[in-house]
Amino acid sequence: MRTFFDICFTSLQRVGEAIDFLVGVCREIVKGRIRIKEVVKQSYEQGLQSVIIIALTSFASGAVLALQGDVVLSRLGAKEYIAQLVALSLLREMSPVFTAIIFSAKAGARITAELGTMNVNDQILATRTLGVDPIEYLVVPRVIACFLVLPVLTIISEIVGILGGYFVGVYQSNIPGIFYINQTIHAIHYVDFFSGFLKVFFFAVLIGWICCYRGFMTKGGSLGVGKYTTEAVAYSIIFIIVSNTVLTKIILTLWG
Amino acid sequence: MIRVVHLFKTLQEQLILDDINLEVPQGELLVILGESGAGKSVLLKHLIGLFKPDSGEVEINSQDITKLSEAELLKVRKKMGYLFQEGALYDFMNVFENLAFPLEEHTTFDDQTIAEKVQEALKTVDLAGVEGKYPSELSGGMRKRVALARALIMDAKILLCDEPTSGLDPIRSRDISDLIRSVSKRYNCTTVITSHDIDNSFRIADRLALLRSGQIIAIGTPAELKSSDNSFIREFFQS
Ligand SMILES: Nc1ncnc2c1ncn2[C@@H]1O[C@H](COP(=O)(O)OP(=O)(O)OP(=O)(O)O)[C@@H](O)[C@H]1O
Ligand SMILES: [Mg+2]
Repeated sequence: MRTFFDICFTSLQRVGEAIDFLVGVCREIVKGRIRIKEVVKQSYEQGLQSVIIIALTSFASGAVLALQGDVVLSRLGAKEYIAQLVALSLLREMSPVFTAIIFSAKAGARITAELGTMNVNDQILATRTLGVDPIEYLVVPRVIACFLVLPVLTIISEIVGILGGYFVGVYQSNIPGIFYINQTIHAIHYVDFFSGFLKVFFFAVLIGWICCYRGFMTKGGSLGVGKYTTEAVAYSIIFIIVSNTVLTKIILTLWG
Repeated sequence: MIRVVHLFKTLQEQLILDDINLEVPQGELLVILGESGAGKSVLLKHLIGLFKPDSGEVEINSQDITKLSEAELLKVRKKMGYLFQEGALYDFMNVFENLAFPLEEHTTFDDQTIAEKVQEALKTVDLAGVEGKYPSELSGGMRKRVALARALIMDAKILLCDEPTSGLDPIRSRDISDLIRSVSKRYNCTTVITSHDIDNSFRIADRLALLRSGQIIAIGTPAELKSSDNSFIREFFQS
């Protein structure tokens, strides 16, 4: 029993520390201590690193949605709705969640590994001895970059995904191109776009928070960097998927 | 001036610092000697506020820094230089950027002045010409010297060096020890060095302190310690 309570207690303590960390980051942002140059640099690196893989997977996802849609909708005699199926699936769920997951595996892992390595080499302590706040210098720009880059990547993913669906729709299901595009444009309502898009901002903060925090906690040399990095990615993905369900329920309840 | 009063610190339920009392006047060079794990690094980190003690005071120029918030500590640290055991240079910056960083953060110097200061600091540590190299392209000794230059570049009046000679060959150890002494004396820095390099410590120290199991068991000038008849001290200095 004692150990059970111990585990609960230490977990709670850790969550408390993690929240403390996030509060510290938010405080710096609110105070306006934002290094624009660093934000640009981090955004550029994070975006560049993830954009190709996200485009590739999105194209494939859009295509596979159209392939399955072709089969299923043909059965119902509604083949002309492939465009709607692809666009709505991508915008409402798949692009935001997939992009966030891939982003956490690429940019998130990079953040934890970078900060973790700096931590085990005393570079974060050194920052403090130089009279510079490591949260402000190292963490805030990375979190803000996540917040800026992930939405952009999501939109890229949506566009490329629709393109993937278009190719299958036109060349496999023989839907006229103009018709496919028209269907897509008419299918998308504000609510479809924003009900997916809003979630991305939450995921962005989640990834930035978890990955920076794990980086700051890293100890135990190069082994530690590996361990904390994989853990950070695992936590990010778990929290993205679980929180997505809750967020979706909330958004659907409030908005339909 | 540095003053430490009744300093206690427990880490992971282990008493690491056990009632440390210490006074280092302005301009003095003190070497803290002790075996591995004696608590030297922990003590040094208390002097710049990287650790908060369980109880006790650490006064830097008559200001008790244990009561300060991190934001206030950041200001105090601008006047201090800290040399990490492994250097702790930013590995994503080259040597020039590493040295320019504190100046860009805390001064309003223009690029020209910063470049001159960096050159001057590199010349002090006898490393002119490596500005463009990254820390990973330097030898351990060079990294340490660059780190020393970074610790000094803000004209620190207090210099703390954690094992400046560990992992270096005897000649480099002697050079960097002499270098620290000469800059310390030239700029009248209060300097605290931790080390287990006995020969060099005796050569450069104004005073030496011997740390064992978190306590200072002896303190005095090199001559005083050499003539001590405490058996542990004799054993330690003979090895
Ligand atoms: N961050 C920390 N958390 C927990 N324990 C620590 C921490 N830092 C140091 N210790 C413990 O404090 C004790 C003293 O460590 P310290 O690093 O001060 O030794 P040292 O005298 O500097 O040794 P060395 O000469 O090997 O550098 C060790 O037992 C170490 O395990
Ligand atoms: Mg040490």
